[in-house]
Amino acid sequence: MRHLPARCTGLRTVSATPLSRRALFKAAGLAGAAAVFPLAGCGSVPSSQNGVTTLRFMQNKPEVVAYFNQVIKDFEALNPDIRVIQDFNEGNFVPGLVRNDPPDVVTRGFAQATADFVRKGVFADLSDLPAAATIDPKIQDLVSSWGRYNGHETSALPFSLAAAGVIYNRDIFEAQGVSVPTTWDEFVAACDKFKAAGITPIYGTFKDNWTLGQGMFDYVAGGALDIADFFARLTGKGAAISADAAESFTSNFGPVLPKMLELASFSQKGATSKNYADGNAAFAKGQAAMYLQGPWALSQLVAANKNVRLGSFPLPVTNNPADTKVRVNVDMALSITRNTPNMAAARRFVSYLLDPSVVNTYNEKNAAFSPLKNAPAVENPQITGLAASVREGRYYQGATTYFPPSVPLYNYVQSFVYGKNSEQFLSALDDEWRRVAERTAV
Amino acid sequence: MTITSRVAQTARPAGRKNPTSASAKTGAFRSKNKIDPTYYWMVVPVLALFAFFITLPALVGVFFSLTNYAGYGDWKFIGLSNYVNIFKDPAVLQSYIFTFVFALATTVVVNVVALAIALGLNAKIKWRTGIRTVFFIPMVLSALIVSFVFNYLFSNTLPVLMERLGYTPLATSILANENLAWIAIVLVTVWQAAPGATIIYLAGLQSVPSEVYEAADLDGAGSFRQFLSLTLPLILGYLVINVILGFKGFLGTYEIIVGLTGGGPGMATQSVAMRIFSGFTGGDYSYQMANAVIYFLITLLISVIQLRLIQRRGVSL
Repeated sequence: MRHLPARCTGLRTVSATPLSRRALFKAAGLAGAAAVFPLAGCGSVPSSQNGVTTLRFMQNKPEVVAYFNQVIKDFEALNPDIRVIQDFNEGNFVPGLVRNDPPDVVTRGFAQATADFVRKGVFADLSDLPAAATIDPKIQDLVSSWGRYNGHETSALPFSLAAAGVIYNRDIFEAQGVSVPTTWDEFVAACDKFKAAGITPIYGTFKDNWTLGQGMFDYVAGGALDIADFFARLTGKGAAISADAAESFTSNFGPVLPKMLELASFSQKGATSKNYADGNAAFAKGQAAMYLQGPWALSQLVAANKNVRLGSFPLPVTNNPADTKVRVNVDMALSITRNTPNMAAARRFVSYLLDPSVVNTYNEKNAAFSPLKNAPAVENPQITGLAASVREGRYYQGATTYFPPSVPLYNYVQSFVYGKNSEQFLSALDDEWRRVAERTAV
Repeated sequence: MTITSRVAQTARPAGRKNPTSASAKTGAFRSKNKIDPTYYWMVVPVLALFAFFITLPALVGVFFSLTNYAGYGDWKFIGLSNYVNIFKDPAVLQSYIFTFVFALATTVVVNVVALAIALGLNAKIKWRTGIRTVFFIPMVLSALIVSFVFNYLFSNTLPVLMERLGYTPLATSILANENLAWIAIVLVTVWQAAPGATIIYLAGLQSVPSEVYEAADLDGAGSFRQFLSLTLPLILGYLVINVILGFKGFLGTYEIIVGLTGGGPGMATQSVAMRIFSGFTGGDYSYQMANAVIYFLITLLISVIQLRLIQRRGVSL
């Protein structure tokens, strides 16, 4: 960790030994001022020693530390004047901002929370970076759709696009003679067939409420509605939203929610006391035919049973196969913090990360899609079933990702799945949305 | 958590009012012209640390509760609207109701259990020291670890056991039941908190002279009558201390809930401390700071009432 200049600590002044009353007041006043104006206090200092610049790189996926260690090693060999320190504890990011000492280069999953950083001007503009032009504009749009700082800046460049659908056990599908469903009715028929054969159709992990949120809630909502458009209209309405407005959750989500309960009913008995880890272990052992999880579960499933043969398909929510869309999220997006004193070095590092050899290899290894314009087609059989949708742009960002983190959405979703009261659920969402809009609008 | 401990700390000097004023009178002759600076050396560093690490951050929090600050980035003053919005937020209200009901229930159960254990451990039973040690183990274990272990028991072991015994209502995890999850939390909290209360009760029971029991035996009082008419009144002060300290602690409940239910299922077990803490990660810093200020005032009020009760009872904390 970099050492902060002494004036930033403030603490030392207080514990200094000669404690006259005046000195004490002075110290308290200084500390008070520093605490009240957290951003004004200490400036960032370039961190270079002997001509070597040290960059701090915070990435958001602890499971890929080894890959980035290798990338950093290669980068440092090519750029001996830069040293990169990897930090994979994303939880340090906000404290870093508060101390005005954030990492230089950051990757984050791109959703409402990150978009909020963008809107507050935390990140630097990367639009003039040559690597920015190599990114598929459709995927860049997934980032820009959240709003841009000053209306035109590019605050984050996608590094990895994760597509999530239904993970299925190829062996069970083949043994039962079930082919991948392309409509909702086919999907229900497949579930009934598994049930009749004594096989759990879908493994539920309801105890971890996020699996309900990103799984059945996002899939059903995203498959049936135009999520981006819905939230654009909802946000446009601001604090004036009410349950009976045309833009409300109640008016739009009401008709699609019964399908969620139908999905829940295809889960095994006792799904309420199983968590994500239980689910991975059980599904890998073939205890169910399908699993509503994203690509992040694939490596866990293979780790639990290396012989499991997996595939994925986007959940069809309507009976028109052309409507079927896949849930995507920009799993990693690269940003440089605006006030970094090491801007030039940070830009070189980001450019290196967006080199096709780095970004494509990463996504190939992690069952994700590369955001580059001329990325090679995916060959991983676990996700080839989603490739067509991604290539044709038939995708949406999950409804859960649009919520501000202060809304305990996953808890509400879990409540709904347990209590089956859709009216209460949706009016709670409308109320929460209105309250957040009320207190953030001012 | 911090709020209640702060209340406890500020409350303590007030409780000691009587003894200090009495000793000040006797020491007045010696220190008429000059007070021994040693006393200042004892008080001032602690006061400075307390002010810097507790009072100042609290004041900063109060300051930011009047803004729309997210913890970083731009902010501006918005007056009292955070406070107004808190009162319109049913989720916050629900967390208050849950926390108070939980604290009340837990306080009652903890004290009943701890008193029973203390009575048993105070009697001349076999292997008393060994058994005492066993009972105090929960106190040294981290609440978070305890709750993760119980989480496993409730989710996996208990349902399997109940299914085998044919008792269907408990065949699914009670942590997954919106109406029963709080009972699991009370249970684990009691398991964790009872030893602390037991120690205080044991100290109380040992302060009761054995002569009173001998006299009661001669008068022919049964053991239940002895407990009701002798033991309980004689250790009433310890009971009051346990109730007050326990209630304050349980109002700040956090880590056991995080380990057991994470506030779920649904919104069933969200405590006030959890809501406040969610503001740090949720970009809702100033809003939850307003919540924290309100909660501080409520706990302050409760503390003042409790202190009054203590002083009337003649017990000093």
